[in-house]
Amino acid sequence: MKLNSLKSSLLLLQTVSQSLEAILVFGSEWRRQKLPLYLFLALCLNLFVAPIVYAASGNEFSRTQAWALGLLGLGTLALSIYLFFVMFVPEKF
Amino acid sequence: MKTRNGSAPSTSSRPIRVPSGRRGDRKHTPKAQHQGLYQRAIRESFVKLNPRVAVRNPVMFVVWLGTLITLLVTIDPNLFGTVQADIGQQRLLNGIITCILFFTVLFANFAEAVAEGRGKAQADALRSTRSDMIARKLLPDGKIQEVNSTELRRGDQVKVIAGDMIPADGEVIQGIGSVDESAITGESAPVLKQPGTDIASSVTGGTRLLSDELIVRITSDPGQGFIDRMIALVEGAERTKTPNEIALTVLLAVLTQVFLIVVATTPSLSGYIAGFLGNMAGAAAGDRLRTGTSIAILISLLVALIPTTIGGLLSAIGIAGMDRVAQFNVIATSGRAVEACGDVNTLVLDKTGTITLGNRLADEFIPVNGHSIQKVADVCLAASVFDETPEGRSIVQLAQKLGASVDLEGKSTEGIEFSARTRMSGTDLDGKEYRKGAVDAIKGFVRSRGGQVPVTLDEAYEHVSRLGGTPLAVCQGHEIYGVIYLKDIVKPGLRERFDQLRRMGVKTIMLTGDNRITASVIAKEAGVDDFIAEATPEDKIDVIRSEQAQGKLVAMTGDGTNDAPALAQANVGLAMNSGTQAAKEAANMVDLDSDPTKLIDLVTIGKQLLITRGALTTFSVANDIAKYFAIIPTIFAAAGIGALNIMGLKSAQSAIVSALIYNALIIPVLIPLALRGVQFRPLTADQLLQRNILIYGLGGIIAPFIAIKVIDSILPLS
Repeated sequence: MKLNSLKSSLLLLQTVSQSLEAILVFGSEWRRQKLPLYLFLALCLNLFVAPIVYAASGNEFSRTQAWALGLLGLGTLALSIYLFFVMFVPEKF
Repeated sequence: MKTRNGSAPSTSSRPIRVPSGRRGDRKHTPKAQHQGLYQRAIRESFVKLNPRVAVRNPVMFVVWLGTLITLLVTIDPNLFGTVQADIGQQRLLNGIITCILFFTVLFANFAEAVAEGRGKAQADALRSTRSDMIARKLLPDGKIQEVNSTELRRGDQVKVIAGDMIPADGEVIQGIGSVDESAITGESAPVLKQPGTDIASSVTGGTRLLSDELIVRITSDPGQGFIDRMIALVEGAERTKTPNEIALTVLLAVLTQVFLIVVATTPSLSGYIAGFLGNMAGAAAGDRLRTGTSIAILISLLVALIPTTIGGLLSAIGIAGMDRVAQFNVIATSGRAVEACGDVNTLVLDKTGTITLGNRLADEFIPVNGHSIQKVADVCLAASVFDETPEGRSIVQLAQKLGASVDLEGKSTEGIEFSARTRMSGTDLDGKEYRKGAVDAIKGFVRSRGGQVPVTLDEAYEHVSRLGGTPLAVCQGHEIYGVIYLKDIVKPGLRERFDQLRRMGVKTIMLTGDNRITASVIAKEAGVDDFIAEATPEDKIDVIRSEQAQGKLVAMTGDGTNDAPALAQANVGLAMNSGTQAAKEAANMVDLDSDPTKLIDLVTIGKQLLITRGALTTFSVANDIAKYFAIIPTIFAAAGIGALNIMGLKSAQSAIVSALIYNALIIPVLIPLALRGVQFRPLTADQLLQRNILIYGLGGIIAPFIAIKVIDSILPLS
């Protein structure tokens, strides 16, 4: 009985450690691969922007078009920030 | 005493020699394999589509992003708003725009890849000469052991026979043979190697002995040889941006930012005008204007307005500059060094080897103090019998021609080597001291031995100096016998080169250990702006510092260890391949041919690089005017500005596609110019500016007007 409970605890610990390891690998990969992270953040931010676009345009755009336009606006803003970055730290490019 | 003086500038206007001129005609074997260069470049241009690589070029990255968005609207034309026109036609237009933008990015990548490929080919060519081989190592007992070249260490001695590759860098200690150095220098003519002299005795691993046999003492450990260092230099020459490139990158980013803001705000403005038009002229007019500002068309407008031509060719121009330097058999450690050549204001040049031919030859013995010419020849021969320099050998030859002889049999002899401190050399023969050297040095030597200096010595000295020759006094013990006239020959064509440099605002300073009279004669003959006579190697660094203190950029050449501080101090330091390791490490360029005159060619290459970049920037920005007049009036024709369609383009679609096709095609059209460089002309900065504005500014306005109109006429779009 005691042995069984020990075994199950060990298994749980193993699972937790493997999960933590996987999260760490995932986290380190995210730190290395910036682009997917930025895309993910842009999609999250667009959850706030798209409804504003949709509301502001009346019935002119569908929900999908508003969502795409919101994302395009965020992309344009990001591009503008990137160009400012190039202006101030040109030696990196 | 050091003397500084100026000579009258020449106004000669004879034909000039440019980098592609006389030196370009020399028979060089191709060093780098350019076979498959374009296939590799095409492959590389796709690899460079990786966003991590693309992001390093701001202008082209904007085009890259534009391509992605137009691809999305090709797949779904209604993605960013419902299309008013026929959806199939809109999809076709979006698809065409996507293809053109994709090729624009691809062409820019191709230009960079071609330029990079040339540098890589050079490193590969050098690497191909570095292969393991069997060497004949000489053992202490005189026997020969065959070993792998990688087992050789500094100090080992090897025997090389005709047809063998020289296994490692070394110094010839026995034998005379001709060596094919084309693997590293590209020069097909074999070079004679023999012991006793600095340059002629050094051999490089990977070169081939063509005749006879040599005994070579190895001077480098494995992996430390010349070719290894050169590969490290070529491969280590990472593309760090030069100050000019950084300034241009900022300018391009500012222009792109401005046009991005303009284009991003256009839909709001056109929406407002469309609403106004809808009320005034009916809904159809407003809809036509809204159709004209679809996302794909706005991206086309952005791409047409941003300076994609220079954005796409900027890296290629910089890399090609380094490649042009490499074609001159010079290895540059960075693009910054090449560019600095173009900004140089002052050239510090050694007289011997740079301005005059390296080997001064004895032309005449001038007796003093009542001695006969025969006696002077005897003393000269005795003083030069151990002198292995070309000057020393020429003195021996002239003395023997005059019937002089010296008997060394059974006598105690010792050769006294020349040093910069004593400024004389000679022989101790059977208790007698024979010396030859600078007149002042010999005077001091004679006085130290209790002798007198004859008055006729100064007359002979001045006579030789006035002829532009180098006078060497010769003595035995306390008695001066005469003066040797070493004849200096100014290299042909130098006067014209110095005239060119003067017109470009570059000052030339000649440094020489010769006396003031000789220096002034040579300076006048060569046409240099200034000279420093009786200079020691340490004076170089003083000259450089004083010029730099006046805000000037200085270039110099050097080969000795004592040149290393000056090479490091100079803005452009060109070390000779035959020079010491310290000199090569201190310099930012190494000349494989060991030709100091090449510094003048490097200045012209540097200027050519800057002129090319300026010309293409002017052309790229000027192009905007035609593209503006092609696109804006056609897409906003509904707003009443159709009259501005001065080119009479068929439709908005045709105008946009024509402008984009021109925008894409101009990049590959200009690749040869970017790689070859704009033709160099020795003009002042003002003249160059006027010329650039006239050719590339005006040309940049007119050419796209014609090209866009022609493309519009050919296109089947209506």
